[in-house]
Amino acid sequence: MTETKLLTENIHEPGLNTIAVYERRGGYRSARKALFDMSQDEVLEELKASGLRGRGGAGFAMGMKAGFIPKGTMDKYLCCNADESEPGTFKDRLLMQKNPHLLIEGIIIGAIAADANKAFIFIRGEYELQAKILAAAVIEALEKGYVGKGIFGSDTNLDLVVHRGQGAYICGEEMALLDGLEGKRGNPRLKPPFPASQGLYQGPTLINNVETLCNTPFIIEKGAEWFASMGIDKSTGTKMVSVSGNVQRPGNYEVELGIKARDIVFGLAGGPAEGRTVKCWFPGGSSAPVLLDEHLDLPYTFEAMKEAGSMLGSGAIIVVDDTLPIVPLALRLAEFYRHESCGKCVPCREGTNWTVKMLERMDEGEGTPMDLDILAGVQQNIIGNCLCVLGDSMAMPIGAMIKHFREEFVQHMEAARDKRNLTQEAYGAGELAAAAEAGPV
Amino acid sequence: MARPKVENVTFEIDGIEVTAPEGALLVEAAKNGDVEIPYFCYERKLGKPVGACRMCLVEIEGSPKLETSCSTLVKDGMVVTTTSDRVKEAQAAIVEFLLVNHPLDCPVCDKGGECPLQDISYGWGSGKSRFIEPKRHFRKPLELSPLVAIDRERCILCYRCVRFSQEISEDYQLVFLDRADHTYVGTHDGRPYVGPFSGNIIELCPVGALTSTAYRFRARPWEVEGSGSVCSLCPSQCNVDFTVRDDEKVLRVLARENPEVDDGWLCDKGRFGYQAFHSPERVTAPLVREDGELREASWDRALSEAASLLQGAGAKTAALAGGATSNEEGYLLQHLLRHGLGSPHIDSRAGGELDAAQTRVLARPDLTARVGDIDHAGAVLVVETDPVDDAPILELRVRKAARRNGTKVVTLTSRPSRLDPVAAATVHFAPGAVEAALAALAAELGSPRAFEEPASESEPPEGGAPEDGAPEDGAPEGGLAGRALDAVATVAEKVGEAFGAGPPAGGLDPSALAHRAGADPEAIRAAVAVLGDAADDVVVLWGERVSHGARGAQAVDALLAVAGALGVAEREESGLIEIPAETNSRGLREVGVLPGLGPGLQDAPERGMGAPEIARALEDGDLTTLLLLHVDPLEAHPERPVWARALAGANDVIAFTDFLSPGLDEHATVVFPAETNAEKEGTLTHPDGRLQRARQAVGHAGEVHPEWRVLADLCTRAGESHKLLSVGMVTARLTDAVGFYNGITLDEIGGRGVRWQDRAAAGSLPAAEPPTGPLEAPPELPDGLRLGTAPSLWSGSVTRHAPALRFLAPIQRAELAPSDAERLGLSSGDEVEVSVGGERVRAPVALRQAVRPGNVYLVSGTQEENATALTNGAPRTVEVTKV
Repeated sequence: MTETKLLTENIHEPGLNTIAVYERRGGYRSARKALFDMSQDEVLEELKASGLRGRGGAGFAMGMKAGFIPKGTMDKYLCCNADESEPGTFKDRLLMQKNPHLLIEGIIIGAIAADANKAFIFIRGEYELQAKILAAAVIEALEKGYVGKGIFGSDTNLDLVVHRGQGAYICGEEMALLDGLEGKRGNPRLKPPFPASQGLYQGPTLINNVETLCNTPFIIEKGAEWFASMGIDKSTGTKMVSVSGNVQRPGNYEVELGIKARDIVFGLAGGPAEGRTVKCWFPGGSSAPVLLDEHLDLPYTFEAMKEAGSMLGSGAIIVVDDTLPIVPLALRLAEFYRHESCGKCVPCREGTNWTVKMLERMDEGEGTPMDLDILAGVQQNIIGNCLCVLGDSMAMPIGAMIKHFREEFVQHMEAARDKRNLTQEAYGAGELAAAAEAGPV
Repeated sequence: MARPKVENVTFEIDGIEVTAPEGALLVEAAKNGDVEIPYFCYERKLGKPVGACRMCLVEIEGSPKLETSCSTLVKDGMVVTTTSDRVKEAQAAIVEFLLVNHPLDCPVCDKGGECPLQDISYGWGSGKSRFIEPKRHFRKPLELSPLVAIDRERCILCYRCVRFSQEISEDYQLVFLDRADHTYVGTHDGRPYVGPFSGNIIELCPVGALTSTAYRFRARPWEVEGSGSVCSLCPSQCNVDFTVRDDEKVLRVLARENPEVDDGWLCDKGRFGYQAFHSPERVTAPLVREDGELREASWDRALSEAASLLQGAGAKTAALAGGATSNEEGYLLQHLLRHGLGSPHIDSRAGGELDAAQTRVLARPDLTARVGDIDHAGAVLVVETDPVDDAPILELRVRKAARRNGTKVVTLTSRPSRLDPVAAATVHFAPGAVEAALAALAAELGSPRAFEEPASESEPPEGGAPEDGAPEDGAPEGGLAGRALDAVATVAEKVGEAFGAGPPAGGLDPSALAHRAGADPEAIRAAVAVLGDAADDVVVLWGERVSHGARGAQAVDALLAVAGALGVAEREESGLIEIPAETNSRGLREVGVLPGLGPGLQDAPERGMGAPEIARALEDGDLTTLLLLHVDPLEAHPERPVWARALAGANDVIAFTDFLSPGLDEHATVVFPAETNAEKEGTLTHPDGRLQRARQAVGHAGEVHPEWRVLADLCTRAGESHKLLSVGMVTARLTDAVGFYNGITLDEIGGRGVRWQDRAAAGSLPAAEPPTGPLEAPPELPDGLRLGTAPSLWSGSVTRHAPALRFLAPIQRAELAPSDAERLGLSSGDEVEVSVGGERVRAPVALRQAVRPGNVYLVSGTQEENATALTNGAPRTVEVTKV
């Protein structure tokens, strides 16, 4: 099986991050085309017809989202969500590091579609190198007049600002991202109003992921029909897949949507090491409920993953092989979400904290099978009751783990309990017995 | 943008058909069907919902997920379920989550017994928890401020206090720190949360996380009772609920929401000031001077002493009323003076006499706005007042209008105002130049009165800015119709000559007028652009200071020209609201505590002297006796040196007071103890004309008697035959006497108050037409460093005598523009002496970027170094020297 390289076609070409090389490779032609040869509605129609879906996690149709932006003369904003923090996801990092001008061109096209005159790239705080590369690229584009006042010599303005996050996963949630950009504590806002009507600074705002925007120059250049010819059903185009975990060749792969998941995990990434099998896998980042080996034969599309009870999410496949115990994995996952919960809504704040405390207890041999029911019940109480999806992002995979691996949880707890008892015996069970005999003090 | 008209919609909730206003939030609309939806983070007063607590989840037909009813607008035909198993499970789950980290220390928690978390846990929780892990711990309790203690373990992070700080008082001090279950409420830098409104977060807190340090551990909810009344500490007259124990002690003050008055908020002075009620320093028995010292005396003795002193002085008695004097007390006071003693010399204002015609014009219902009109005004013009200091709750009202409804705020003040940051346009002018500033605004607004030539040459403008040194001879009295006292008229003539007997304002263009105001003409144009753009209802909040001093009448005239140019009289929801200097100034004027006007703003049978002349007459011996009702002129009136000589020159001073100020301690012959707000029964009139009832909450302390009865007793002893047996009888008499109050009964006033303008009797207001003639030209600015004074919210005896508030008592400071300080070789914190005419006030220098060069500001109303030593009602220039 092979990759289908669209965004990553020349990705390893030295100097692609400079405007000279990028333009030599045909860069900024699509932006010019969208600006001079097409109307805003035509750009919008093209994006809608392409069937391009958001690559950040939710998979919402990009053209439709841009179409929600109201017409009018008010300030409108485009925010590029580059706060790529979902565990297992590192595709946007590659794109921004190697081909920043593709993103800038995508932003120009996105801004034309949304009639936005101010654009922001909210980049994850830890992406220091990528932020520098991106900032240098923005300066190049500014000097060339591709962004700023009167882009490409037209009377259209587009300010572009690179804003670095401060290290909070929640700022990848679009509403929290807006608050963070505004200089506030990055907490999700209540919806509605949706960003298309009241987003950044209460203005209409289009928010798109890096990879989503990077697709737009190709759609403008080669047409929606060509783009839609890739993929199957409502999953069109290619997808960057970050494969990590227990595979032999982890890394970014760009594949046509609809390819069998097994072809990615085994064909491209080499599968688990010799003699091991796939125990479970996250199809779309750590927030996606885990799937089993049998699900690897499904086509890798938004629809198929949803039908299987999970999601394509950000396209980050994390493979877990049979050597990895499930309880520590669940604990590590829960710890991440507990740490990253913003603390605004009750089920997420208290639920993630409770889950971690229970899993810690289980891992240390203090748990009982009844705790497993409570743990599952807590996950049920989180799902659907939160302000944003962060709570669900923990509860769904943990819930799936309990569902698929209940037996292993029980065994793990028993083993941990035995281990603890052994330890107690080794360290003076006699004293304990004596103390018990002496009765309460 | 007028108050929006609302259509009703019908929806179904738990099988009940319910009608509610369109656009209402489901959580509110459900109440119409007697369906209670539990919630923590939602609070109507805080505006936009945040959806953080998730307690109010309900099932809505057609929606796959449960929805938060605090953020869902009702729609016609909506079908809502709040009792399905799915909803019940979610509610129980949220309660369980909330209690995961809550310490459940209800038996020792102040909130226990009146705690929403407790109530909702009982009502909607499952009654048990599956959580057996260790709970999260914080250090506790900590002082969030000297007034508020915080217990972070009890906190359920509902956002209410943080939203209050950020979206209501807009001080942005409270924030969430850290994240996830470690999140806690605090200030950015750990400094105390101190602000004029900080106490409201205690009342907002739905758990026992924020408690009042003054109330903490003092009582349990089942030992106390609530008693509704009206706060009498400032003209906002917020409605309050006293928490009373054993009918004798006020332990706490809570807001009693009245949207037409206070929106349910209180300032910290109103919330914690009750501590002064129980101060050991309070005067609780009558005092009579004996051997040069004030000693406690029996009521009989004090009353006969006072009565004989007053009868002996007769027409040589003068009286001043201030503070929280009720309508009943004011009415009886003027009755005693005018009918019992035959003296017309009575005043309730510090700034000199008001013109009678102007007073009546300003009382006209069509020119007056309601407080509620601020909410939906297109623009609010704030003239020479900083609401936070003069009527704090109105500041929150203006902020709310600007934030939620896009109301444009225009500030026109001398001293930079706290509202400047939310204002769409700001004009700062020189102290004392409000007349010129208003004239400039009127001219820029195109008022014909600013451009017309004077109607007749026979009415020369009078008054003018006195030269330095001139004020000691007596400030020139204002008055449009040339009714000034002879002596004053001479001064006016002299001053008029000095300024070339000013041409009408028509002779000056707006820029020249702005120049006379010491204001930036560009700023005036910007203000007019905003007011013009608003093209809608305009509410003008103006401070009583506008009408003070030598040219007060001309300044009010200019204000009326502005009001005319804005067309406020023609619009239902437009108008003026005066923010008076004292709590009940409006009521006192309307019941006749003015030198020229009797009850109902009718001409008094005999014109008396206003406060400034009373001082001089006492000094000269033309008057001998002074009756003071809740006012110490040494602290509250300008010209402190004159008043010092007046009190020394008076034969006798009879005072009603709660605390003995140094001045009263030295000069009073008889002192009657004043009732506290919680002891008083009577009525007050809100600045927008709303009569409100003060209700007695606790028994009188010590030997305190109802003051109305003391005044009635003095009336009887002065020969009044009509017996007054209850305060209700006094109210009835005064509503008879004040034409436009006719027929108002205590029952009608009730707990919400009633605006006299909304009643038929309003027609009895003596007719007065707004002036139409040309404005006078305002005087030129004096050269030199001009002195401005402004009161502080924390001025007054309450701050000094309530232990919780003592740390807020204002200290004097000289606010200077950095450029002036540099010129004078001063830097921030330097001790300086501000002096004029031999009087001096010491203060540290405070540099303020917003102060316009050429001006210096002092606080008035401090007990020490009071700026009233330097003021005389006219623009003054001062020397500032380093000490």
